[in-house]
Amino acid sequence: MIVAMKRLRLIAHKQDEADILKSLQEAEAVQVIRLLEEAKADEELDRLEQRGAQLTDSLDAVKPYAKKAGFFTPKREEKLEQIQSKVDEGLKLSRDLEVLIRRRNTLRAEIDKNNSTIAALRPFERFPYEMQSVEQSKHVRCFLGLIASKDLDALYNQDFISVELYGEGTSIAALAACHVDDAKAASTFFKSIDWTDVVFPKLSGTPAEAMAALQARNDEINRELEKLEEELKAFAENADVLQDAADATLIERDRARAATALAKTRSAFVLEGWVREDEAQKAEQAVAAVTDAYSWEIFEPEEDEIPPSVVQNNAFVKPFEQVQTLYSRPDPRGIDGTPFMTPCYILLFGLMLSDAGYGIILSIGAWLYLKFKKPRGMSGGVVRVLFWGGLSTIVWGVLVGTFFGLSLKEEIGLFPLWFDPMTDSMTMLGLCFGLGVIHILFGYILKMKVAFDNKDWQSAIFDALSWILIILGLVLYLVPSLVSGLPAIMQTIGLPMAGLGALLILLFKGRGKKNPLKRTISGLGELYNVSSLLADILSYARLFALGIATGVIAQVFNDLCGMLMGGSNPIMAVLGFIIGCALLVALHLFNIAINTLGAFVHCARLQYVEFYGKFYEAGGREFVPLGYRTKYINVEK
Amino acid sequence: MDGIVLATLGAALAAVLAGIGSAIGVGIAGQASAGAVSENPELSGSCLVLQLLPGTQGIYGLLIAFVIASNAGLLGSGASITVQQGWQYLFAGLPIALGGLMSAIFQGKVAVSAINMVTKRPDQSGKGILMAIMVETYAVLALLISFLLVVNI
Repeated sequence: MIVAMKRLRLIAHKQDEADILKSLQEAEAVQVIRLLEEAKADEELDRLEQRGAQLTDSLDAVKPYAKKAGFFTPKREEKLEQIQSKVDEGLKLSRDLEVLIRRRNTLRAEIDKNNSTIAALRPFERFPYEMQSVEQSKHVRCFLGLIASKDLDALYNQDFISVELYGEGTSIAALAACHVDDAKAASTFFKSIDWTDVVFPKLSGTPAEAMAALQARNDEINRELEKLEEELKAFAENADVLQDAADATLIERDRARAATALAKTRSAFVLEGWVREDEAQKAEQAVAAVTDAYSWEIFEPEEDEIPPSVVQNNAFVKPFEQVQTLYSRPDPRGIDGTPFMTPCYILLFGLMLSDAGYGIILSIGAWLYLKFKKPRGMSGGVVRVLFWGGLSTIVWGVLVGTFFGLSLKEEIGLFPLWFDPMTDSMTMLGLCFGLGVIHILFGYILKMKVAFDNKDWQSAIFDALSWILIILGLVLYLVPSLVSGLPAIMQTIGLPMAGLGALLILLFKGRGKKNPLKRTISGLGELYNVSSLLADILSYARLFALGIATGVIAQVFNDLCGMLMGGSNPIMAVLGFIIGCALLVALHLFNIAINTLGAFVHCARLQYVEFYGKFYEAGGREFVPLGYRTKYINVEK
Repeated sequence: MDGIVLATLGAALAAVLAGIGSAIGVGIAGQASAGAVSENPELSGSCLVLQLLPGTQGIYGLLIAFVIASNAGLLGSGASITVQQGWQYLFAGLPIALGGLMSAIFQGKVAVSAINMVTKRPDQSGKGILMAIMVETYAVLALLISFLLVVNI
């Protein structure tokens, strides 16, 4: 059901502004409309944004050291005052942490630098002199560098250069010297061969000594880094405080951002916003709790204002709102499809997975997750959907499916109770298409309902009822030829029914157009949609195919592990049994995961395209009331 | 040629071609995921789902290969089949072999685009998944036809 939204205008004294915003944030009922463009930077807001970024950085930094939250561990619940009191402590921690991190980065950079120096010195490891002793004298010019071994002969041939080599291989460290007068010729010569000039770093001792010293320094740094890591680990113990501070900052920032949206005079402010009709009173009470000097005005939105889209449903249907939101929120002037989609979703999901064993695992898993993790929002909705889907899977599994890939009918004569799709594939296809026809008809009926609700009876009859007649008529006409033992009268009713539907479309589809020819043409165009209707129905064949994918793959896994276990040698048999069992569990869990994903998305697609395509108006905006949008904890009220 | 050779070829084609398609699809989607996650590690969940989607074709191919192998007696039962049946198994494997190959590659491309979309609009991952699922439809239909053809030989 779509909730009616009201516009709200609140005028109050500026001195009460902070308290009123606090109170409204606690009520979580009002979405503030921005009255002023975000003009100049707001100091308070900037300060809070920076604080939030700093705390988030710190949390990211300690994340590798913090202990992981368990799969089933719920978010912590804290009182607002509790987390607000942690802000100062959190900021102090964050600053200390920053010092540590900076120190760590400096040390790491030094290690990198030392390592690259060591690598550069490595070719000169056997250079026997102090590095700084290589200098230019009055009469002698020195050249230090690496020479390619293929150019060695060329170097020896230059009799005005004397040379010493300190290694072997393709690239050799060399010290060459010549008389100052020959320096120019020597430079030219070195440019002509494969020679790389090398300059020693400003370090004392021979290269080997310097390398050892650098290595020692690195070891020392590594020891200090280890100590730093320990300290970081200690910081990670306090990740809770950082999380509290970060969330408290988020809450404060949202309020500061809302404050920049208000229109203000010297002594008063105006807040405009959206509020749910059923929460208007709650919102007003939040203001009244602060002051009695205010003006509170609730009115209908203007024609050109499109309110945010909010839906409300009972506890059973509510999780399926998330499935709808994955597609799109409903246009606030349209219809909320959730209550109608819910039973269809559960029904079709189960048929796609259709393995009783997997259904049991899925339901129990989802139930445990809900019980211990207590997820909210999108994930909470999806897990609840999976719980119901699992139950439906058990039912379908018993009716037409398998049990962990075993056909229990063959094994112990239990189920499938109804029929086995493996041997009776045509019945299964018929079942899928039948469900599809019902699903699509339901969509057209809803289209008719929406049209009637909008008092557009023409659209209800010509756009919706006509198609219902065509589908029903064709089904009545075709089914007796496929299934024997049905009264022939169905066919005699069916054909005229479909004909009437087609006639309605042909004559009235283009009812807006005066020209009878154009009218007929647009009617013919609409009738052409019979082909897309056919495609819609055939699309339900995926129900069967995904059922096979689950059941047969499970059976394949069973067979594979069975082969492993069937060793004749006693040692191999025991070993095979152990490995086979472990493998069986892992493979089945994998199969559950991949097929649950498949069933979830394919079932959603059937709802979005085949079902919602008939009546649903997409494109609603999310309702984002000023409230506690925290990341790490849930605020306890 | 013996029928059993043809049936083996059919099973092999189903597993290999659909597997190649999935490998390519999951591969390119994985590269895009890695890029997206390096920017924002919180996206790893929705990126993983998108990367997994082109992987199902390989599983469908494996499924058909296994059904052919078991129905044609390739798994040690030693039953012999005629040459005609062998040809039937070969052709029955083709829908999922070719359908899986192409749909996995293109689904992978859609998944890459969807992952790029998710990096810009993390709240829209549902629509990205839907776009990729549209491509998978044809692999699902191919699986169905291959299956019906195989079990009715």
